[in-house]
Order: sequence, then structure tokens, then C-alpha cells
Amino acid sequence: MTLLLALIPILPLFGGLVNACFGSRLPRPLSALIACGAVLGSFLATLGCWPGAAGEGLKTTLFTWLQSGSFSAEVGLLFDPLAAIMALMVTGVASLIHLYAAGYMEDDSDQARFFALLNLFVFAMLTIVLADNLLLMFLGWEGVGFCSYGLIGFWYRKTENAVAGRKAFIVTRIGDLFFTVGLLWLFARFGTIGIEAINSRAAELDPTTLTLISLLLLGGACGKSAQLPLMSWLPDAMAGPTPVSALIHAATMVTAGVYLLCRMFPLVSLSPLAMGVIACVGVLTAFYAATCALAQREIKRVLAYSTMSQVGYMFLAVGLDSVSAAMFHLLTHAFFKALLFMGAGCLIQLAGHENDIFQMGGMRRRSQTVFWLFLAGLLCLAGAPLTGGFFSKDLILATAFAKGDPFHLGIYGLGVLTAGITSLYSFRLAYLLFAGDFRGEELPHELPKLMIWPLPLLALLGLSGGLLNLPHLFGGRSWLSGWLERENDLLQIPLQSEYLLLGVAAAVFLLGWLVAHFRYRRFAERETEVCKQFFLTGWQCDAFFDRLLIRPFRKLCYFCWQGGDLGLIDGLVEGFARACLQWGHAIRFLADGRISRYLQGFAWGLLLIVGWFLLQAVR
Amino acid sequence: MIVPLEHVLILSTILFLLGLVCVLVRRNLIMILIGIEIMLNAVGLLLVGASAFWQQIDGQVMVIFLMAMTSAEVSISLAMVVYLNRRKGTVDVRAFDEMRG
Repeated sequence: MTLLLALIPILPLFGGLVNACFGSRLPRPLSALIACGAVLGSFLATLGCWPGAAGEGLKTTLFTWLQSGSFSAEVGLLFDPLAAIMALMVTGVASLIHLYAAGYMEDDSDQARFFALLNLFVFAMLTIVLADNLLLMFLGWEGVGFCSYGLIGFWYRKTENAVAGRKAFIVTRIGDLFFTVGLLWLFARFGTIGIEAINSRAAELDPTTLTLISLLLLGGACGKSAQLPLMSWLPDAMAGPTPVSALIHAATMVTAGVYLLCRMFPLVSLSPLAMGVIACVGVLTAFYAATCALAQREIKRVLAYSTMSQVGYMFLAVGLDSVSAAMFHLLTHAFFKALLFMGAGCLIQLAGHENDIFQMGGMRRRSQTVFWLFLAGLLCLAGAPLTGGFFSKDLILATAFAKGDPFHLGIYGLGVLTAGITSLYSFRLAYLLFAGDFRGEELPHELPKLMIWPLPLLALLGLSGGLLNLPHLFGGRSWLSGWLERENDLLQIPLQSEYLLLGVAAAVFLLGWLVAHFRYRRFAERETEVCKQFFLTGWQCDAFFDRLLIRPFRKLCYFCWQGGDLGLIDGLVEGFARACLQWGHAIRFLADGRISRYLQGFAWGLLLIVGWFLLQAVR
Repeated sequence: MIVPLEHVLILSTILFLLGLVCVLVRRNLIMILIGIEIMLNAVGLLLVGASAFWQQIDGQVMVIFLMAMTSAEVSISLAMVVYLNRRKGTVDVRAFDEMRG
């Protein structure tokens, strides 16, 4: 069993290394085959380990990584219920996305590099998921950041892609810094970095330290998960190939922050202040991103903002003390968002590499299959009753409602409003994409079969995702909460309010649909209003950060460059050289090559010396 | 000593200055060499005069050395003048200013 457990991360690592070292020399289908096989093998290994996960879970130590005095970091894997369900989701979704990518990258000349990075990404993500200590988790954390950077800027010949990759890397690094400080602080306090050890001893910390460490962990999570205020990288990250957006920026990496908070939940949950902050960050991001998604024109940017918004819901769930609600939404979201992204990739292909939804329309006629699959994803996203997204979102909102105090009721209100907006922008997207006639001029490109057939599976998972944690009201047993041993997360609210909450959720879904139906059924070029422009640019956040950070930093750099380097250092060195040079020029006329002039110098010098001695003698 | 030392000093100074002016002012290489010879001889005269004044033989010995050295120097210098003349076809010092800065 431990061997099987070790195989989970090692297989993708192996596949990635083979592709990185020999990929360009292998025949084309083989490198894709290795990549897909490695991830699929990892998925099967996860399934094989599954029975061991219940209760305490499986543990294995592969080797000692670092050893210095009392500090020791081991490469140890922990396969408990939380890690198991996450690993199963990561490997499962990644397998489907790898298959899709094999079709998507069929004609790309850099296929080997792509698959090497993709496999390494899966390895790094599994390291985060399975790590039994924070340092190893941090290694995976940095690994996914690096792979994400490499994959966003995959087509690096276009400058904006490379810039987007750099932006993602730098912004997430800011979050990583918080994580690092939190990690070191925990080590300083406990003398260990084992996740279980820290969690079991968390109560020993004094409240202030606990709150600060929790907030630091939240900072790290915000960076990776694109939450306020470190969110600006995610929409730009859509510059990468579509399978990358599906894998990294929808299903797995952006949920790493949620996973971190769930992993450290026993520690984080001890600080009420930190929990409140987490909930606020979550709900505000959800609202912010939903409004931004309303105005976007690029299909993938709409989905990027919706991802940000849904991850905000997960943060909210963590902040509401409900790990199972967060994980539930994480899972359903991973399914339907991967589906949506891959569907978007198909649609872009069908529209002849057109990204702009204002130039699309009438896509239904180009492919019925993609239409139904994409619609399934959109229904889940919008929270159509009985889909997976409906149940998971409703569980989060109901948890907020069940808390009952004004703070949480306010959060509930904002969450419901956001759900309405979510439904609105989902159907806006649907109507702009599928209604009417095609507005662009491009002819459809051919769609490889491999790009279609992972989708139905994901659609099925997304639509039926609610079964994972079906509430008692619908005759379910809340399996996920039981599996995660979080029975406290089950809500104890009266039946009437439960019906009321369901009714509200269904009502905002319908309301969003109706508004979208009347506004976007017929396409009309509308004038760009100020408000729309504001949402389109993501509340001007990029401009704000530009003013707040980048410009002052540029000015400082400019000052250091002009004042410090060129002015002071170069000025000193070059000024010395220039002085010598000028002095040389000044006395150059003395050496004119005429012997008589030199001898004249002798004579005058002699006269001077003789005169001096004469003067001395006279005295 | 029949001739007073002052006279010797004055004569040799005049000779030296004449030679110096000749070196500084003339442009013909050979004239410059002659100027140098005159200065050397002025020094030699002074050495002999001083030797006679202090009744010591050292000055005269020095003059003998000076003569030997001067003859060697003149032969080398003249050879160089011939060589320079062959190179540029002139003995004007202004033609040889390649060392100017």
C-alpha cells in the first residue's frame, strides 16, 4: 500500500522528467502517451490507496530530506480522508485534461515541453496534497507556481503571454512570502513542521500569535487562489493554452489555497478574527469577480473571473467553519469548471480561433454536442437546481444563514446577490455564444475527437456532483461530511428555513436567467458605459496597483539607476578618468616633438635651480 | 696660477651659454652637435681651471676622460646625422617631430 501511495506523485514526476529530457527526440504520439499514461497511472494508484484513507489514513516516509540539529524535514506522504479526496479529484480531472490536451496540442511543435510541464505540475500539486509537513508542501507550492509560470507563458514568442506569466509568478510570490513567514514562525514556536503535530498542538499558542499566523497562511492562500487583494494575475493567466487554464487556473492550483486552509483548519479555526477575515475575503472576492465577469468580452476571461468568484465561495465556507462545504464546492467546481474551460477551448476552435464572445453567436449550429456540454457546465456554474453547483453553493450559503448573527446574515445576503449575478453572467455568456447567428467571419476549424470525449464524463460528474454530499432533505446522507469526519458541519436548521433557503437560491437563479434572457436574447452592440468599462477592467484594479506599487517602484528604480548608479558610482569613476584625460590634454602641447623645446625646458629648469642656490647663498 | 680663476669662470660661462644658445636656436642638426661640443669644452675648461686653482690632479683626469668620451659621442652622433639625413633628406630638426604628443 505504501508503495502504491509513493507511486501517486512519482509517476507524474517520472513522466515529466522523461518528457523533459527525451521528449523532443521521441516520436510525437509517444510523448503525449507517456504524459497521459503517467497521470492515469497516478489516478489508478490513488484509487488503489483509497481503502486505506479512512480514519487515520496512510502514512509513509520516503526519505529524510533535510536534517540539521532538531530540525528535520522528511519527504513523507500523508493520505488521510482530506488528502485522499483531493488527490482523487486532482488525478482524475488531470487525466481527462491530459487526454484533451493530447488533442489540443496535436499540431504544436513544442508538445514535449508542454507535456513535461503539465506532468511536473501534476507532480507538484500532488506534493501539496500529500505532503505531511509544511516544508514539503511549500516545495510543491513553489513547484506549481513555477509550472504555472512556464505554462501561462508557453507561447512565449508573444510578449503579452510572457508578461502574463511573469505577472502570475510575481503576484503569487507575494503570497508565498506570507506563507514562508507563517511556516517559519510555526517552526520557531513548535520546533516541528509536521502538519499533524502542529495541528494537535495549536491550542498552545497565545491568541495574538495564532491570529497572526492564521492571517499569514491566509495571505499565502490568497496569492495562490487569486483572492483579494492578490487576484489580478488570474484573468491575465488566460494567455496560456486552454488545457492549462482548465487544469491549473480552474480545477487544481487555484484551489490549493483552500486546501491549505482546510489542511491547517484545526489551527486556523482557533482564531475567530482570522475566520472572520477569511469569510470576508471570500465573499468580497466572490462579489467582486462576479461583477467583473458581467462585462468581460473574452470567453476565457469570463470563466477566469467566475473561477475567482467560486473560489471566493470556498474561502467563505472555510471562514464559516465548514471544511466539508468548502471541499464539496471545490470538487463540484473542479468538475464543471474544467468542463467549461475545455468546452471554451472547443468553441474557440469552432469559431476559428476567435476569443471575443461579441464576435461569436450561433455556435449551436456549429456543434450540437459542444452546445449541450457547455450548457451543462453553465447550469452548474449558475446553480441551476439539482446540479452539483446548486447543492454545494447552497450548503455554503445555508451555513452562513444558520450562524444567525448580523455579520453572517450580511455575508449571506452578499452571497445570494453574488449567486444572482453568477446566474446572470452565465446566461449572458450562453446567449452571446449560442443565440442568433454567427457574427464573425472565421470558418470553423476541425475539432479533434480527443477534445470532445473527456467532456461528457466531466459533465456527468458536474451535474451529479450533488450526490457527493446530498443533504438529508433530499434523502442523502451527506457522505462527504462523514468521510471528512466533519459531522459538526451538518446544519441544524428548521425544515421551513431550509425550504426557504432552497427557494431563494432557485429564485435568484431564475431571476438571473430572466434578466439575461431579456437583455441578451437578441444581440445588440451596446455603447460602452462608464460602469461597464469599470467592470471590464476589473474595477480598475490593475490601474490602481500600477499607481500604488508599480509606478513608485519604477520611480525608485529610476532614481537608483540615474542617481545611484549613473550619478554617484559612474560619476566618481568616470569623473576621475575624465579629469586625468583633460589634464593630459591640457599639458599635451608641451610635448610637441621639438628637441629644442625640450632643451629649453632643461635650460629654464637649470636656471631655476641655479637661481635657487644663489638665493640660498645670499641668505 | 697666472690666470685668475674669475677669468676662467667667466670665459667658460660665456662659452657654455654660447653653446646652449646654439643648441636651442639653431635648426641644423650639425650646428646643434657643435653647440653641444662647445658646452662640453666649456665644462672641460672649467675643470682644468679649477684643478689648477686647488692644485689637485682630479680635474685634469676628468678632462682626459671627457675628451675620450666626447670623441666617441661625436662619432656616434655624426653617424646618426648621416642616417637621419638619409631617411628624410634633410638635417633640419623640425622634420624630426614624430614624438610630439
